[in-house]
Amino acid sequence: MSTKEQRQRIELLQGTLDLLILRTLILGPAHGHAIAKAIEFNSDEVLQVEQGSLYPALHRLIKRGWISAEEGTSENNRRAKYYRLTAKGRRQLVLETSKWDKLAGAIARILRPSEQEGKS
Amino acid sequence: MKRRERMMEDLEQDIREHIEMETQDNIARGMSPEEARYAALRKFGNVRRVQEDARELWSFVGLEQLWQDVRFALRMLRKSPGFTAVAVLTLAFGIGANTAIFSLIDAVMLRSLPVENPAELVLLKWSARKAPNLHGLMSSGDCPSDMSGARLNPQGCSFSEPMYREIAGANIFSGTAAFANSGRLDLTGNGSASVISGQLVSGDFFHTMGLKAAVGRLIDASDDTPAAAPVAVLNYGYWQSAFGGSREVIGRTIELNAVPFTIVGVTEQRFTGITPGSDYDVWVPLSNQKKISPLQGMMDPLGGNDRRTDVGFWWLTIVGRLKPGTSVAHAQAVVSGMFRNEVLHGAVELFAGGKMGALPIPMAGGPNMGPSAPAPGPIPAPVPMPGGSGNAAIPFHGEAGGGPPPRAAAKGKMQFTMDVPLPGAAPAAGGAHPAGTEAPQAPSAPKTLSAADDDPQVTLVSAQTGLSGTRTRYTDPLYVLMLAVGIILLIACANVAGLMLARAAARQKEMAVRLALGAGRARIVRQLLTESVMLSVSGGALGILFAYWGAHAIVSFVSSNQTRPLGFATGVDLRVLGFTVAVSLCTGIIFGVAPAFRGARVNLTPALKEGDGGSAGTGNSGGKWFSIGNALVVTQVALAIVVLVGAGLLVRTLQNLRSVDMGFDAHNILIFEIDPMLAGYKDAQADNLYRDLQGRLAETPGVSSASYSMIPLLSNGLVITVFHWPGTPEDQTAESDALDVGPNFFETLHIPFLAGREFSASDFELAAANGGDKPTAAPTPVIVNQAFVQKYLGKENPIGKVYGSEPVGQFGTASPGYEIVGVVRDAKYNDLRREIQAMMYAPHHVGVATFEIRTAADPQALLPAIREVVGQVNADLPLFNVTTQSVQIDRLLFQERLVARLAGFFGVLALVLACIGLYGLLSYEVSRRTREIGIRIALGAQPESVLRLVLRQGIALAVAGAIVGIGVALGVTRYLASMLYEVRASDPVTMIAAAVLLALVALAACYIPARRATRVDPMVALRYE
Repeated sequence: MSTKEQRQRIELLQGTLDLLILRTLILGPAHGHAIAKAIEFNSDEVLQVEQGSLYPALHRLIKRGWISAEEGTSENNRRAKYYRLTAKGRRQLVLETSKWDKLAGAIARILRPSEQEGKS
Repeated sequence: MKRRERMMEDLEQDIREHIEMETQDNIARGMSPEEARYAALRKFGNVRRVQEDARELWSFVGLEQLWQDVRFALRMLRKSPGFTAVAVLTLAFGIGANTAIFSLIDAVMLRSLPVENPAELVLLKWSARKAPNLHGLMSSGDCPSDMSGARLNPQGCSFSEPMYREIAGANIFSGTAAFANSGRLDLTGNGSASVISGQLVSGDFFHTMGLKAAVGRLIDASDDTPAAAPVAVLNYGYWQSAFGGSREVIGRTIELNAVPFTIVGVTEQRFTGITPGSDYDVWVPLSNQKKISPLQGMMDPLGGNDRRTDVGFWWLTIVGRLKPGTSVAHAQAVVSGMFRNEVLHGAVELFAGGKMGALPIPMAGGPNMGPSAPAPGPIPAPVPMPGGSGNAAIPFHGEAGGGPPPRAAAKGKMQFTMDVPLPGAAPAAGGAHPAGTEAPQAPSAPKTLSAADDDPQVTLVSAQTGLSGTRTRYTDPLYVLMLAVGIILLIACANVAGLMLARAAARQKEMAVRLALGAGRARIVRQLLTESVMLSVSGGALGILFAYWGAHAIVSFVSSNQTRPLGFATGVDLRVLGFTVAVSLCTGIIFGVAPAFRGARVNLTPALKEGDGGSAGTGNSGGKWFSIGNALVVTQVALAIVVLVGAGLLVRTLQNLRSVDMGFDAHNILIFEIDPMLAGYKDAQADNLYRDLQGRLAETPGVSSASYSMIPLLSNGLVITVFHWPGTPEDQTAESDALDVGPNFFETLHIPFLAGREFSASDFELAAANGGDKPTAAPTPVIVNQAFVQKYLGKENPIGKVYGSEPVGQFGTASPGYEIVGVVRDAKYNDLRREIQAMMYAPHHVGVATFEIRTAADPQALLPAIREVVGQVNADLPLFNVTTQSVQIDRLLFQERLVARLAGFFGVLALVLACIGLYGLLSYEVSRRTREIGIRIALGAQPESVLRLVLRQGIALAVAGAIVGIGVALGVTRYLASMLYEVRASDPVTMIAAAVLLALVALAACYIPARRATRVDPMVALRYE
């Protein structure tokens, strides 16, 4: 894998990864690995999270107060850290989601102008 | 910090857990445990990087990493002391030179006025479309004035005293100060008599400036009334040097120009004068102007009216302190309104044009005419003098090169322009007394100073920039030098960049390893930049030291050229420090960027495999480096050529000026000035004193000849006389340089006679009589130079020619004119750069004089004997501006010498730096190509061919650089044109000489690595690696 591609993908994930994490956590607290799995699974394995980048993202969200971390036990009975959505994080999710919808809609309109017109 | 530690531990745990889970998942998918673990790790990515990224979130990573980088950089630099030393030294020279020149610029141009809140102070400047009708205009040199004759759009910052009182009374400003140069002050009552400089200041001067007394009190409003007892305030430095800093001095009485003054206080140490470069010994209230004016007892030639009430005599510089909340625009509108009101409606008694004759004096020597400017050309002296003699002497006294020739900076100017010495100066031309003590005051209807059409107005400018003083004299050379040192810094940057590139190439493996271990490329660039900034900061620190010495050396060089210490204090202050820090950082980034990006752009696999390399492996990147390195060396050589050419032109200018044929012999001449007027001598008494002294001095053992003249030659002083040449239309005037000389002047200065005779004793009596109130019928004898003969007489026999005579004119005074009695060889007058003009020498009478003493041996050694002779005649007659003619010329050339010396130094520095760059590049090339060279030698290459191989590259680079450099120099040097003398800015000789010099030194720099290449042992080279 060349350095260049790798860099591009990280940039692509920046920001959206936060949204995906928040979205995943709305279902309940989860540990890191589970979040990664969930994102992959729910996106029909289209989005391959570079799992390592998940952790700095989680720390970033903790620092912003959108999620909190607590000690827990994993499925295989080991100490693991569970991440939980805070009230602030929930509000942020709503905000981010609507932003994302707008963005996606706008991009879609640009990319497929005729279809959009037909539909509306 | 605690929190971060905990978070990091948690993170590690999380990551371990995550990978463990992923491995389990993979096993569940049917992978072998090893495979599963490997896949999990690969999917997770760079663990270190993740940890770093997370760590960044929880800390001041910036700072922390910076600290890491700094420590690492220091370690790396310590590891290669040779590289570090060369780089730091190179940078220290570059940064040091810049700091030194900047500290001068800072001191001369940027430092704020030494007063409270200088930003609130505004200077009043007037301007109009046409010159106002004034009795007198005087500039103390505080700001550039321009009011010569018919020139349009005159401007200035001198105002009349009534105008000042009106503005001060209007309460526009919270304080309104007025000041003017007092002229030369003869101080007695403190040891032997001495001449000091003083400033007349208004009562609220110190209050407006917000200054406090170091001892005693300062002048206040109550001192500035005609009835008040005269008081004086001393300059701190002067107090220290002349009074030993004694507090007893308060209350003591000194005599200034024979008027007793009581010392009431000493100013704060920081305040030596309001205008940069001015340095006054003493301040006295404005109300004493008349008392201490040496014109006292005679009629003021410029008006005769009392300056206190004369709205037509402009002589005060006005500075106001803005009230809080008052805008500049508002204050300006008010002041401008008052000014217009006064000049448009105030009626003034004017002598019909007559007085104007002496008036429109360009402020020669004023700041706007630095010595760099070509000598003031012939000044069209305007309207004839009232006496009808048709002579207008325009004495000029600029500052001699080194600075204040006779007096310190801001002084002296007015002396010769207007105020003081006119009694001597004006009649110089031999005509009637300018004031025409009896000159009928021509009938003239009162008229206004100016007309509405002329749009007279006042603008307020910041005192900081407005009071330029002598600073403008230093501006041009400083900018040229700043440019030179800027180029030096660029060369140093290119030089160090070259070194860094070579190092980056050698460090490829290190970079590859670090990248492989997960270092971000941005991080590596930062790391490398930190290293280069560390280098430049070390260079900067050392540079400050160099700069301190450098600036010190320059200042002492400057001071050695003036009779008084430089009015500028230099030193490393905050602004200079800030400048140096900024320059160092920029330097580090500029020379570090290219190597840093190259360093980070390593191709991992080959770099790791090959190691640092012989030939093939680094061939690619080596080739690339090669071209950047070459480009850097070419740049250095080109820049060095530019500096060398500039330096060459300036040095040649100095040489040309030095070898100018002055027309007289300047060696072994002692010169000194005395001013008997200040000691109370009147006209005829002074003449007798001069004659007496001249005789006594000529007989002093060791003296071969003695004479005197109104002003010394080559001191930047100039007098031009206007007369009527017979046979030309009545209203046409002719002009000539003029100098009044004493007996034996030509013999003393070794100016040979070509025809005619020297002045006789009766000539002096005749000149004195003609210069007095009742001129005789006989023309004043004069001696002219060749240029005069050529201009006015052609083939006609000059001896006996009479010119400039005027019949009884409308003013009732006849002028007998001049009769040529001798012709002497051409000699330079005021300045070496000025072409020799038509010149007439007249017998000296009345007024100031400078003695010229030709000695058999070292003139300085005779000084005590000469002082004794003068002391015998009158102990209260101070000698001042004691110097020798050659020193006087050196001072005249001060600026040229300073610039040539510094530029020469910088030229050599540039040359050395460029050659170090060339040497470094070739050395690197040779060591990189050791194996190739070894193979060549093994295959039978002769040492000469190897030598040629290396030299060829070096010479090609030097030649390319020289060509580019000369191209750039051709484009740049024309900005030097105004500073050059008899050498064109595109002088081919200088260009070629610079290129040849560089080529030779470059050859030497290439030869060392080339020789090393020939000594490569093929066996060793082949085993290398």
